[in-house]
Amino acid sequence: MTEIMTLQNVSVHFPVRGALPFLRKGEIQAVSDVSLSIHRGEIFGIVGESGCGKTTLASAMVGMIKPTAGQVLFEGVDLNRLPRDEFKKMRRRMQMIFQDPFSSLNPRFNVYQIVSEPMLIRGEDDEETMKARVVELLELVGLSSQDLYRYPSDFSGGQRQRLGIARAISLNPSFLVCDEPVSALDVSIHAQILNLLLELQEKLNLTYVFISHNLADVKKMCDHLAVMYLGKVMEAGNSDKIFANPMHPYTQALIAAILDIDFSEEREIIVLPGDTPSPINPPSGCRFWQRCPKAMRGCREVPPEYVEVEPDHFVACHLVNGFPDQELPEGYDQPMVPREKVPGR
Amino acid sequence: MEQVLKLRNLKVVFPTDYGLIRAVEGVDLDIFHRECVALVGESGCGKSVTSQAVMRLLESPPALIRVDALEFDGRDLTQCTEQEMQEIRGRDMAMIFQDAMTSLNPVMTVGRQIDEMYRRHNGDSKKEAREKTVKALELIGIPEPRERANSFPHQLSGGMRQRVLLAMAFACMPKLIIADEPTTALDVTIQAQVLKTLRGMQRGCGTSLLLVTHDLSVVASIADRVYVMYAGKIVEKAPVKDLFTSPHHPYTVGLMAAVPRLADEKKQFTQIPGTVPSPVNKPSGCYFHPRCQYATERCRQEMPRLKPTGKDREVRCFHPLSAGGEQQ
Ligand SMILES: Nc1ncnc2c1ncn2[C@@H]1O[C@H](COP(=O)(O)OP(=O)(O)OP(=O)(O)O)[C@@H](O)[C@H]1O
Ligand SMILES: Nc1ncnc2c1ncn2[C@@H]1O[C@H](COP(=O)(O)OP(=O)(O)OP(=O)(O)O)[C@@H](O)[C@H]1O
Ligand SMILES: [Mg+2]
Ligand SMILES: [Mg+2]
Repeated sequence: MTEIMTLQNVSVHFPVRGALPFLRKGEIQAVSDVSLSIHRGEIFGIVGESGCGKTTLASAMVGMIKPTAGQVLFEGVDLNRLPRDEFKKMRRRMQMIFQDPFSSLNPRFNVYQIVSEPMLIRGEDDEETMKARVVELLELVGLSSQDLYRYPSDFSGGQRQRLGIARAISLNPSFLVCDEPVSALDVSIHAQILNLLLELQEKLNLTYVFISHNLADVKKMCDHLAVMYLGKVMEAGNSDKIFANPMHPYTQALIAAILDIDFSEEREIIVLPGDTPSPINPPSGCRFWQRCPKAMRGCREVPPEYVEVEPDHFVACHLVNGFPDQELPEGYDQPMVPREKVPGR
Repeated sequence: MEQVLKLRNLKVVFPTDYGLIRAVEGVDLDIFHRECVALVGESGCGKSVTSQAVMRLLESPPALIRVDALEFDGRDLTQCTEQEMQEIRGRDMAMIFQDAMTSLNPVMTVGRQIDEMYRRHNGDSKKEAREKTVKALELIGIPEPRERANSFPHQLSGGMRQRVLLAMAFACMPKLIIADEPTTALDVTIQAQVLKTLRGMQRGCGTSLLLVTHDLSVVASIADRVYVMYAGKIVEKAPVKDLFTSPHHPYTVGLMAAVPRLADEKKQFTQIPGTVPSPVNKPSGCYFHPRCQYATERCRQEMPRLKPTGKDREVRCFHPLSAGGEQQ
C-alpha cells in the first residue's frame, strides 16, 4: 500500500491575546506534534471529543491551515513548499465535506450553481459540459436532474448533505475529508449517507479521512484510526487491532462511554471525572493525566512517548510503554491515589 | 401509583404560508410519580412542541392548540392563569433545555442564578440560598462549588453549564422535570457523567422526569417507559426493556437498527429508506407506510389506531412485529 498523506511532527498553534496586547496569555495548542500516515484507498478515522483538534488537523492536511511546525506531505510532496499555482492544483485533489449541511451551502444558489461552482472556479466555461457533469454527479449521490434548479431550502438535511458530497467530488478529488458528515442529520438518515460514502469510495477510488466522535461509526467505517485528546494522538493504528485491544485508558473510556441499546449484555461504564482541560497552556506531562483513572505520579510531569507497541498499533501512555530512561520524580510509578486536587479549567 | 401528568388528545397546528403544519396530532401522555418517561423521535416529529404545550410555554398565536385534558398533580392546567403557571413552573415543574448557554443569564454568576430559584420559590434569605446552592453544586459533582458559584456561564465548560441547569431544575424539588435533549450538545464522556447525575438526582429527589430526545441509546440508559413519536403521532408506547428487547412498530425496529453498535459488521449500515415526511404534506394512511417494508393496501388507505398489545404496551400498526422481529 502506498502512502497518500504523511504528517511529520505537525503542530498547529493559535495565538491567544490577553486583555492587553503585551500580556500574552499563551497559545492554543490545537494540534501538537502529530505524525501519521494515510494509505491510498483507505478510510482513516479521527476520533476524540469536541475541541481536541480533529478539524484543525484535517484542515492542515488539505492545506487550509498552515502548520506552525512540521510537514504535510501529499503524495510525497510538501504542500507548504509548493509555489502558489502548484499548490492550488494540488488542493483541488483534496476536498472537504462539512458537518453542517445547513450553513455550508449558499442559500441563494440553486443546485446547479452549487455543484458547478468548483468547476467554474477551475475555469470550466462550457455550459453543456458542466450541466452534463452536474447531472451525473447528482445521480451518483442519489438525487436527480429534476433537482437541478431547486434551492437548498427545498431539501431535507440528508439531501443537503448529498449536495455537499456532490460538490466535493465534482473535481475528481482523490482525497476527501468528511468532517462529522452525519452528526447534524436525523438518525434514520445516518445510515443512508454513510452507505453512500462507502459506495462512492469504492466507485471513485477515494481515500477518506473520516472525522467523528461516534466510535461505533468509526469502527464500522475505518481501516485505520487515530484517537486524539487535547491536540495529541493518544493511540493510533489498525482499527481492528485498536478495538480488539484498546491500550490507552482514554480509548478504553471512550469505548466504554458508548451507550448501548442492548439490554441483554451488562457492560461496565467508566465515567471519567472532570472535564477536558483548556488547550491554552495544556497540562504538562501526559495531557490526559487529570482525568485518567490509572494515572501515576510521573504522568503529570513526563510526557509519554509515542511508541509502536505492535505492528501498526501506536500508543502514547506510560502505563503501556513504561517511563523513559531519564531522571524521574520520586514515586513516579505510584498510582495517584488519593486523587490529588485537580485544577478546574 | 400517583399520577403526576395526564395529557389527553393534544393537537397543535401552525398555520403557515405554505399550508397547515400539523405538528402534534392527538398525543396522550401519562407520567407517574418517580418515573422517567422518554419521548423519542426524529427531528420535527413534535417532541419539543408537545413538551412546551405541557408547560403551557407554546405561544398562541402562532400555534393553535387543542387539548381534551391537561392535568398536573391533580390540577387542571388549562384553567390556570399565566401568573399561576409561572408559579408552577420552577416550583413544581422545571425545564432543562439542550443549549445551556441560551437558558442561563450570561451576565449573572451561576451561583446567583441558582440562589434566585431558592429565594423566589422558597423565600430563603441570601445566605440560606447560597448555602443551598453550594450544596446543590456539590451534589451534581462540580469541584470546588463555593468558588465555582462565582463563575459566569461562559467561564464554564459545556458539561458544567449543563450540570448547573440540572442544579437549577432540581433546586425546588419539583414534581416534574422536562428535559429537552439535555445531553445532545455534550461529548460522549461528559454525556455519561451528566446522565448519571440526572438519573441519580431524579431517583434521590423522587422527581418524575420527561426526557425528550432523538437518541435511543440515551433512552435505553435512563428511561423507565418510552413513547416513540413519528410525524406528530405516538406510534409505540412500552416499558423500556420491552421496547428494546421486542419492538413492535416497524419504525421502532428501523430506529434501533440505525443505532450503530460495536459488534456490528464492518462497512455496511442498516438503513431505513426514504425520509421523514414534510409536515405540510404527510402521506395518506399510516404516516410511515412509504418507508415500511410491510406496508399493505390498508396501510396506504387508513391510519391505524394505537392498540394495546400487552401490559402497558400500545402500538399504532396494522402489522406489528412480534418478539423475534417476525411478522404477526
Ligand atoms: N482559527 C482558530 N483560532 C483560534 N483557535 C482555534 C481556531 N480553530 C480552532 N481553534 C481552537 O483549537 C482547538 C481545536 O479545535 P478543532 O475545531 O480542531 O476541534 P475539533 O476536534 O474539530 O472539535 P469539534 O468536535 O467540536 O468540531 C479548540 O480549542 C479551538 O477552540
Ligand atoms: N413556531 C412555529 N411555527 C411554525 N412551525 C413550527 C413552530 N414550532 C414548531 N413548528 C413545527 O412543528 C413541527 C414539530 O416541531 P418540534 O420542534 O416539536 O420538533 P422536535 O421533534 O422537537 O424536533 P427536533 O428534534 O429537531 O428538536 C416541526 O415541523 C416544526 O417545523
Ligand atoms: Mg470539528
Ligand atoms: Mg426539539
